[in-house]
Amino acid sequence: MNIQTAYIGEIEIDPAMILTFEHGIPGFEEEKQFVQLPIEENNMFQILQSIQTKELAFIITSPYLITENYTFEIDEATVHALDIKCEKEVAVFVIVTLKETLEESTANLKAPIVINTTNHKAKQVILNDETYAIRHKLNLQSVKG
Amino acid sequence: MLVLSRKKGESIWIGDDIEIIISEVKGDQVKIGIRAPKHIDIVRGELRHAISQSNTEAVIKNLNLLKNELK
Repeated sequence: MNIQTAYIGEIEIDPAMILTFEHGIPGFEEEKQFVQLPIEENNMFQILQSIQTKELAFIITSPYLITENYTFEIDEATVHALDIKCEKEVAVFVIVTLKETLEESTANLKAPIVINTTNHKAKQVILNDETYAIRHKLNLQSVKG
Repeated sequence: MLVLSRKKGESIWIGDDIEIIISEVKGDQVKIGIRAPKHIDIVRGELRHAISQSNTEAVIKNLNLLKNELK
């Protein structure tokens, strides 16, 4: 199927790759379908593009590139909502807020996006502990490699 | 929005499996007990609001930064 994207025009995607967020994400509760797209010549970040709203896209990255030992327990609500059967089928991303420079840019480690790679159900999970920040400054050393 | 008055020790049921108990009232603070199945998400309102705000800020305005700096 073809979709309109915010930054790379119209593209063809495999419908099987669409991620379903049953309740959207906080602030965008009506946006229930997204797709992960690569950013040309940049494999650190990806785009999370809304299927229904062309203009709506986020930058996502792996939290493990930003902070060492990123760990949290996937709560039962998430296991239930995403129908997770085993750890292996889980992928985790975080949303990046780009600022003027990469030094000022931040990643939301407090609310990771958890994906079940088997059924492509996804959810932005809000961690209830104080370990991680909503606006965690990107570590340029590791980001730039 | 449904608004109910409750006293300390009273409760409210939401559906068949969620119970909200008013356990303490002290000045402008209320302590609430929640009995709900484990698959129900329970998050403080201000935290959900902060995540919502952060998501709104994160919507991409342009990609130049990534394209220029990280090539």
